[in-house]
Amino acid sequence: MELLVAQHVGFAYGQTPVLRDVNLVLRAGEVVALLGPNGSGKSTLIRSLLGQLPAQGSIAWDGKPIAKWSRRQLARQVAYMPQSPAWEPEQTVSDVLRLGRTPYLGAFGIESSRDLSVISEVADLLKLSDLLDRRLDTLSGGQRQRVILGRCLAQEPRAMLLDEPGTHLDLRHQVDLGNLLRSFARNRNLGVLMASHELNLAGQLADRLILLSQGAVVADGPPEQVLKPELLSSVYELPMRQISQDGQVYVMPVIDHVTTDSRPSA
Amino acid sequence: MAAACLLIGSTPGLSLAEIPYRLENVLLASLVGAALGSAGAVYQAILRNPLADPYLLGVSSGASLLAFAWRLPFAAVLSTSLLVAAGQQAFSFGGALISVGIALLMATRRGRIEPITLLLVGVIINAINGAIFLLLYALFPQLAAGSGSALNFLIGGIQTNLTHGQEWLAAALVGAGWIVMMYLSGQLNAASLSEAEAQAMGVQIHRVRWIALIVASIITAAAVAISGPIGFIGLICPHLVRLVVGSDQRRLIPAATAFGAALLACADAITRLLSRQDLINTVLPVGVLTALLGGPFFLYLLWRSRRPTA
Repeated sequence: MELLVAQHVGFAYGQTPVLRDVNLVLRAGEVVALLGPNGSGKSTLIRSLLGQLPAQGSIAWDGKPIAKWSRRQLARQVAYMPQSPAWEPEQTVSDVLRLGRTPYLGAFGIESSRDLSVISEVADLLKLSDLLDRRLDTLSGGQRQRVILGRCLAQEPRAMLLDEPGTHLDLRHQVDLGNLLRSFARNRNLGVLMASHELNLAGQLADRLILLSQGAVVADGPPEQVLKPELLSSVYELPMRQISQDGQVYVMPVIDHVTTDSRPSA
Repeated sequence: MAAACLLIGSTPGLSLAEIPYRLENVLLASLVGAALGSAGAVYQAILRNPLADPYLLGVSSGASLLAFAWRLPFAAVLSTSLLVAAGQQAFSFGGALISVGIALLMATRRGRIEPITLLLVGVIINAINGAIFLLLYALFPQLAAGSGSALNFLIGGIQTNLTHGQEWLAAALVGAGWIVMMYLSGQLNAASLSEAEAQAMGVQIHRVRWIALIVASIITAAAVAISGPIGFIGLICPHLVRLVVGSDQRRLIPAATAFGAALLACADAITRLLSRQDLINTVLPVGVLTALLGGPFFLYLLWRSRRPTA
């Protein structure tokens, strides 16, 4: 089922075009990774899909154009996790999870019993139940990431857009995060779209990869179709090679040591 | 708490005839403390800055400036003709609102308030108000000399020349504003997030910022009009109660309100007690006490915020 259909999306900061004619579909239950070099438009695309930037073209959530969604209704449909989520040192885990219920709160911020049961369910799912009273500044980076993820889940969204969620995580936590997102997609039928720089991790964890270059989609398909050396070489302006093992493809840059060693050290 | 404050009056013993007068003092001090405490919590949330206080946008300096200007010769004409009933209080309320209005307009770009710009603009407006004030003070020294209530206003203290109408008006403004802030309290929590996150949480963050800042400024202006600029209540109350109830605005605002009311009522009672005991030969303005208690606390917060967190 198609949660999100974006057609001919364009956006420019002043005279500088950032997105050009982007077409994109996100279905329930799938994990899609958005790849591309710095400045290729990944973050701008995500914020456009959230209706936060005045993009051209058509963006429809659940068949309804983005302009017809109220912020509050859209927040029940899609959750967003930025690259560096904002948090206050004195906030507790419980405070942050409850923030996720903001789109459901009544006047005066009164919580319903449903709000409380969703929060405790999310805390159980993410193994945060024992940490509820802990302050965020006493948690590790990986734990904090899980708390923010919990805040997104507490919105009970049908889709989740994440902007480079693995940036501040070590390898193990990146894999854990990817597996969690996969399990949300499989078990809760969530559509997940995440921007990423980790080509190989994305290739293993995502069902589909979308490659952006200078604001345009240059490839959209299963990992083995997108992780092609000739394609990636031109997009990243770097010689790349592919390795296949056990039916899985991996790509890595070819580093020319003769050239790099002869350069003056910076 | 209120009962204890009632017992501490400006004359020894407690006679029945004095109770309404003392009750009025306690209630006024509580009202001002409640206004400053709750407004401080809201300012800190919206500006995302723990050192923000309700006077940051020029409420107190604007109020002081116009309260002083009210005594100028040309203003006397105005006040006798138009504002005879409201007088100094109306002028200071107006001055506070003008200052905040200018600060908000200057810090707005395409209908959006930028918290960082707002902080800077507030500091500069306070400096300009202070400079104009000193200029007027130098040009008209006779207005400041000897006039007890003018100085009393500037140092901060519950004013003694209030009419009941003014008191009720201030109470109504503070009460109405407080209800609006509580109504928004759930959304104010999202003000701790980035704009993009707050919007993705379903909050129209720019609208919430506007409403919350305007309402908090109005109740601060109402408080300052009847008490002068009493320092540090709006800064320390939210911080102290945050240590106990946490940073959730739905609990923080009512707690800061109650604590602000209690603290100022006590401080007011203590200053009255000190004057009664002839420890000092004049009525000690309550602003002196709160600033002396709050100043060191402010420094402590600053010192603590500069240490790296564990």
